[in-house]
Amino acid sequence: MAYSDKVVDHYNNPRNVGTLDKSTSEVGTGLVGAPECGDVMRLQIRVNPETQVIEEAKFKTFGCGSAIASSSLATEWVKGKTVAEALEIKNTDIVKELALPPVKIHCSVLAEDAIRAAISDWKKKNGVAETEAVAAQ
Amino acid sequence: MADCAQCGVALQGSPLICGGCGAVQPVAATDYFAVLGLERRLGLDGAAVEREFHRLSRRLHPDRFARASEAEKQNSLAATALLNDAWRTLRDPVERVEYLLKLEGYAVGEEHAGKGKSAERQPPPDLLEEVFELNMQLEELRMSQRMGETADAEVVADLAAAEKRFAAMLNDVDAALVAEGARWDGGQGRAEAAARMIELLDRRRYVRNLVRDVRQSLTVTA
Repeated sequence: MAYSDKVVDHYNNPRNVGTLDKSTSEVGTGLVGAPECGDVMRLQIRVNPETQVIEEAKFKTFGCGSAIASSSLATEWVKGKTVAEALEIKNTDIVKELALPPVKIHCSVLAEDAIRAAISDWKKKNGVAETEAVAAQ
Repeated sequence: MADCAQCGVALQGSPLICGGCGAVQPVAATDYFAVLGLERRLGLDGAAVEREFHRLSRRLHPDRFARASEAEKQNSLAATALLNDAWRTLRDPVERVEYLLKLEGYAVGEEHAGKGKSAERQPPPDLLEEVFELNMQLEELRMSQRMGETADAEVVADLAAAEKRFAAMLNDVDAALVAEGARWDGGQGRAEAAARMIELLDRRRYVRNLVRDVRQSLTVTA
């Protein structure tokens, strides 16, 4: 199976690899796994408490090229978005952007799950109710 | 059971070959258990199955049909390929479980892809945490290997300890798979046993990857 040019690009030059300080209240951490293949992905966001804009995003993924590319793209996309906007990113958008083949769709699902997990961790830390954010959308 | 395409006698055991006239049968839609003349069970007598595999292999072997008709040659090739696939799959206890569950209509492993969110099937957070941390250590070790530095003794010791712990975890998972397999074979609480086996197989992929990667890195270091 050949990877698309975009996957190869993200794999060779992953954006935003790294770690944010987990203990800060502004940082949300999502750690998720893909049971299909045993890949693990950590995605972190730093949210501006005033504007709810995601100002920084970092990831670290242990897995295949598609999983790395999906999480790299996810960090690019969430940056500059508000928390509510970031929740609208769908795995199918990632599939389309990276031209992922059917057997790699679960990598995009993993990236979407990671975004959601990071946001939900941030909300928990900051006492933002899940329902409140839904109403704000 | 179908009848022999050549002599019309009802086929017994494996549908690949006629016990009466010895004719190799055209490969029809069948499953790996049937190919080896087995019931759909997870508990197998490994030695008996292996003997049956070798017996069928010999009888189906394309060399025996070198001077047979074109159709018989084709049947022999197709039957041999199918027999090999069946044996390779069923001899491995983990692949056997995955195969049987798929055969029974359960979604297993890659089959999940894109359907249902993986969030519903996340492994316990502490396992995920540990897998992630160990991967970080592994990366550190690989990095220093690439730089030609001597590996940090503490990191190597940590990884060696982790390898033992995860290898033991893998054994536990495999033992639990056997136990659930026996429950499945017993016919009671099959749905529960299947759900539990799918969960165990999911868990197993993380642990297996990790044991493999840790072993590989430690071999390079040694």
